Amino acid sequence: MMLTISDLNVTYGKKTAIRDISLEIKEGEIMALVGPNGAGKTSLIRAVSGTVRPASGTIMISGQRIEQLSAGQRARLMAVVPQARQLGGAYTVHQAVMMGRTAYMGWLGLESERDQEAVVRALEGSTLTHLAQNHIANLSGGEQQRVLLARALAQETPVLLLDEPTNHLDLRHQVEFLKLLKQLVRVKKIAVMMAMHDLNLVAGIADRVALLVDGCIAAQGKPIEVLDEETLRTAYQVSVKTYTDTESGQRVILPRME
Amino acid sequence: MIRKYPFLVMAILLTAALLLSIGLGAVRIPVGEIVRIISGQLFNPAHNAAAGNAMDVILLSVRLPHTILVMLTGAALASSGAAYQGLFRNPLSDPYLIGVASGAGLGAVAMMSLHGMHSLLGYYLIPLGAFAGAILTVVLVYQLAHVNEMVPLTTLILAGVAFGSFASALTSFLMLRDDGAVYRAIAFLMGGSPIAGWQPVLAVLPFMLIGMGSLSLSGHILNVLQFGEEEARQMGLDVDKAKILVIIAASMTTAVAVAFSGVIGYIGLIVPHIIRLVWGPDYKRLIPLAILGGAVTLLLSDVLARVLIAPSTIPVGIVTALAGTPFFLYILRRAKREVFW
Repeated sequence: MMLTISDLNVTYGKKTAIRDISLEIKEGEIMALVGPNGAGKTSLIRAVSGTVRPASGTIMISGQRIEQLSAGQRARLMAVVPQARQLGGAYTVHQAVMMGRTAYMGWLGLESERDQEAVVRALEGSTLTHLAQNHIANLSGGEQQRVLLARALAQETPVLLLDEPTNHLDLRHQVEFLKLLKQLVRVKKIAVMMAMHDLNLVAGIADRVALLVDGCIAAQGKPIEVLDEETLRTAYQVSVKTYTDTESGQRVILPRME
Repeated sequence: MIRKYPFLVMAILLTAALLLSIGLGAVRIPVGEIVRIISGQLFNPAHNAAAGNAMDVILLSVRLPHTILVMLTGAALASSGAAYQGLFRNPLSDPYLIGVASGAGLGAVAMMSLHGMHSLLGYYLIPLGAFAGAILTVVLVYQLAHVNEMVPLTTLILAGVAFGSFASALTSFLMLRDDGAVYRAIAFLMGGSPIAGWQPVLAVLPFMLIGMGSLSLSGHILNVLQFGEEEARQMGLDVDKAKILVIIAASMTTAVAVAFSGVIGYIGLIVPHIIRLVWGPDYKRLIPLAILGGAVTLLLSDVLARVLIAPSTIPVGIVTALAGTPFFLYILRRAKREVFW
């Protein structure tokens, strides 16, 4: 197992955000976290990324307990793609992606040949090579999100966390981003944990799904197993209809409006 | 041309500003003389010291130390301004606006009234007092102003201005108690350099070299911090250590500048801003360029302060405030749109 989470609890003051969660993600596998707002998806991502300290439980990446590692050591095992947002500033794409090499470059930010090569690969992987010298503020939303992906890829980590990476993107950019991600994960054998709202996109991309409700895992398994009418109705308190697309075998979720 | 060779441009400007600053004043010293006297000092000091010509004395013991002190002060204010802006992710952070300069002024005046400035030990105590005042201010203002991990413009400026006037009031109080020092201290607070000669230059030099040296090496840290503390940490930066390093280096640099040159506003705001507009936001380049640009800007302001109503001089802080305020208001209008650099 690449990423192993065992009996994880996260609390904010008296409020419990994550309750006894255990999850395992293999290399080359995409695990999607779904669930209603406030169910603990972001808390789980933030605990695993080391932003919040868990109250109890362990998080291991290739056998190393991450809470005992320094920020630099952790950043060589795990990279995070944050939520899509408007990026300002006059850094070039190349400069922004190079910052992903911080864990390797040290405090002075001296770029070695390895760092240069890693950035070239990350730019290629995210299909940004032709935009490398552009300023990030001048890119479209979809391109900016690929910059954040490239920055994470430049960290060359076995584990990648994504927090609703396709929020605010239009359909085309959502699909392009996820296709790119899937392809990279297969080639580079990265273990991916990704929080996502759009269940139909989850059904299309995830190898496995964990459904979070009130900080607990309510269901876990293949999309076709987890994303069924009964489970979703209980979790989200709305009635949905689910189909299976005959051509792709993919689960389709249709919320009922009446 | 200008965009491509930033350091060449700055070197040319700095040379011109240095020659103006050394050459202009009650006695004009032509460029040829400046070169002759300085190279004479450098290559044959024994011979020149014996000569004792009036122009030599003016240049070597009045103009040159004054010019070097002004140059170092401008460099210090601009580079620490750039560093605070990067640290707070706020383009309006300036040692003066966020109250650090006033805090340093308070520390410096407190030391002056306690100890006086009669010995070299006294000289070294003043920057230490200023440093303590600066660090205390930056920590307090940050605690007051931050909302989660962001430091919004409004709270930062409000906290800075509030704490700045508090520190200034305390400073005035200290000065009034020590009646012999009132004039000196008023001139000090307006940014007139009250102390002349080589002693202050020697006193600031070690602090400035360490402070500005560390800031010049913090470019990468500041770049990474522009994405926010959470993302910086995820990219592998030890954020807490990085912040402490930058705060100490920037506050030390500000403090020694204030300790010997008084409270001079806006250099730390205007210079980094112009450099960003021309050469971009990369802090690896921005900090060294701000050092050079700050030196040029304060040297020129100081020349203006000396020639505008010659033979008397205006405190240079008045010149920078008169020129800087309109510029500050202009950036304030623009900054509403751009917070992330």
